[in-house]
Amino acid sequence: MYQWLDDRLAIGKLYAKAFRKAFPVHHSFFLGEITLFSFVTLVLTGIFLTLNYEPSIRPVSGSLSGGQEVPAAYYSILYIDSLPFGAVIRSLHHWAAHIMIAAAFLHMLRIHLTGAYKNPRELNWIVGVFLLVLSIVTAFTGYALPFDNYALTATKIGYEIGAAAPWVGKLLSDILFAGELSPTNTQTIPRLFPIHVLWLPLALIGLIGAHLAIMIKQKHTQPKYAEKVAPGKIVGVPLFPQQAAMMGILFLVYIAVTTFIAGAFLAHPVQAFGPPTANTPPVKPDWYFMWIYGILQIIPANWRFEFLGATFGPQFWGGILVPTIIILGALAIPFLDYSKEKQRYLELPSQHPFRTSFVIGMLMFYIMSTLAGYKVDLGLSNALLWVLVFIVPVITGVVAFVILKAVYGKDWNQEVEVKFIGKGSAADD
Amino acid sequence: MYRNDTVVPYFALVFSAALFLMAYLNNQMRVVHEAGAVPHLTVGNIGLIAFAVVLFTYGFIGLLSNWLEGSELHPGKHQPEPSSLPMVAGVVLSILLVVLSGFFVRSLVFANNPEIGYYNASTLQAGVFGAMMLILAVLIAIYKKFFMEEEILAEDEKGDFPW
Repeated sequence: MYQWLDDRLAIGKLYAKAFRKAFPVHHSFFLGEITLFSFVTLVLTGIFLTLNYEPSIRPVSGSLSGGQEVPAAYYSILYIDSLPFGAVIRSLHHWAAHIMIAAAFLHMLRIHLTGAYKNPRELNWIVGVFLLVLSIVTAFTGYALPFDNYALTATKIGYEIGAAAPWVGKLLSDILFAGELSPTNTQTIPRLFPIHVLWLPLALIGLIGAHLAIMIKQKHTQPKYAEKVAPGKIVGVPLFPQQAAMMGILFLVYIAVTTFIAGAFLAHPVQAFGPPTANTPPVKPDWYFMWIYGILQIIPANWRFEFLGATFGPQFWGGILVPTIIILGALAIPFLDYSKEKQRYLELPSQHPFRTSFVIGMLMFYIMSTLAGYKVDLGLSNALLWVLVFIVPVITGVVAFVILKAVYGKDWNQEVEVKFIGKGSAADD
Repeated sequence: MYRNDTVVPYFALVFSAALFLMAYLNNQMRVVHEAGAVPHLTVGNIGLIAFAVVLFTYGFIGLLSNWLEGSELHPGKHQPEPSSLPMVAGVVLSILLVVLSGFFVRSLVFANNPEIGYYNASTLQAGVFGAMMLILAVLIAIYKKFFMEEEILAEDEKGDFPW
């Protein structure tokens, strides 16, 4: 059979070329794989959900809603939850989306901390930034689909931010939501549905394919020890069977852990919120938007002016300008920290104190601006939050830098080197 | 970061446990139990648990990778050392997998039974399914550790794949 296939398709050559590609081994590489497997899980569970979901808000009633008339989209969620294992699959889909964004964020953090974005991988870093942004947008477009009171109100926060974009806000909301986002707009769900299940996933598949193809072509960065083992070579295990076995194990462990969580905490039970009503419940956006929501909370309402017919208000400053600056900053990282030499090995975060302390400062910024999202709940003043969001991250970064310099500074390294050289000389003798 | 060590994976596991604990203890964002309402997680809890799951999975696979692949790779072929214990463990786990599969199917049939009002034991179904996946992962890990020939390559930096 193998010979028959080999004669016709030269699969032996494919094995030698593709399946024997060397994969360096390091635990931090698994963060990217967790992100990838989250996407695979989203696609698999999404297929099941698509087969049972009705993208419409026409009024329907039945035993699942207790005879009450509810939107068809909402009713189909009740139906999915009533199917054997249906609630778990829907919950798994929901959790996989959150986990994908968290894993992608941590993956990028690892790339940043180890300098893996440097020459020649600048392009793949840029693709990665777009992948993270696109993943968040895709998750956002799925949020309103259950069409319950909470989801609709939470989506409205993002909708209002998008609509506040100068000059193009109305166009954006028309494209994404087919007009105004309201419980009575019959076009919104039929518009969001194909965007969420077809166009954005296709774009994600295209970007993920490009990300992987570039990674395979440029090869992995390797752990530093490989420089001593085989300089100038890629030291790793073949894709098949060893790397494939590890990937299989990781996928199964990922599914196991996520299913446990999905079953223990059924995500977004629509019955808890009911179908949309005129009363908006007290809601917050999802955690990955909370830092933007937090900035919106602390920007004074009077920061507003008109220019060429467009309004520049708090939603523009906090919801559009700050995230845009951060995204542009992320895209610029490989060019600000440019390396002429080809980057072959993972850099140790301890040996790059400025970069590491910058990352720690940025993390503090995200944590503090997320905290600002709870301004009303925690009764925090605006003045305090301004300090927490803009001053504390700077102080954190400076303190981290001083500590890193003190612990891993030049003198300390030299001392280690002297000891090492001393030992080497003794052995030579 | 220098090699495939266990320091960062252990730290990830501890950090993951701390995040789970935070999600559990946080009074402000605790699971909402209103009278008559279905309990649900808040966005803060979902965020904490999402990061905890990633860190737990990462820590777990990081430790497993250290056990299965070692902390440093050295080119060459390494023969496995099969023994009776992993064989027995494999057989026991396979039997357990078959039993759990039967139990899982039974729970789905039970959920589809009109006589008991289509009672959908979601947590039980998820627990059994998760356990099955975990057993499969452990079976592959045992096979890889004790029965698979390991080969370490030193590939040239300039390859012609995929182009």
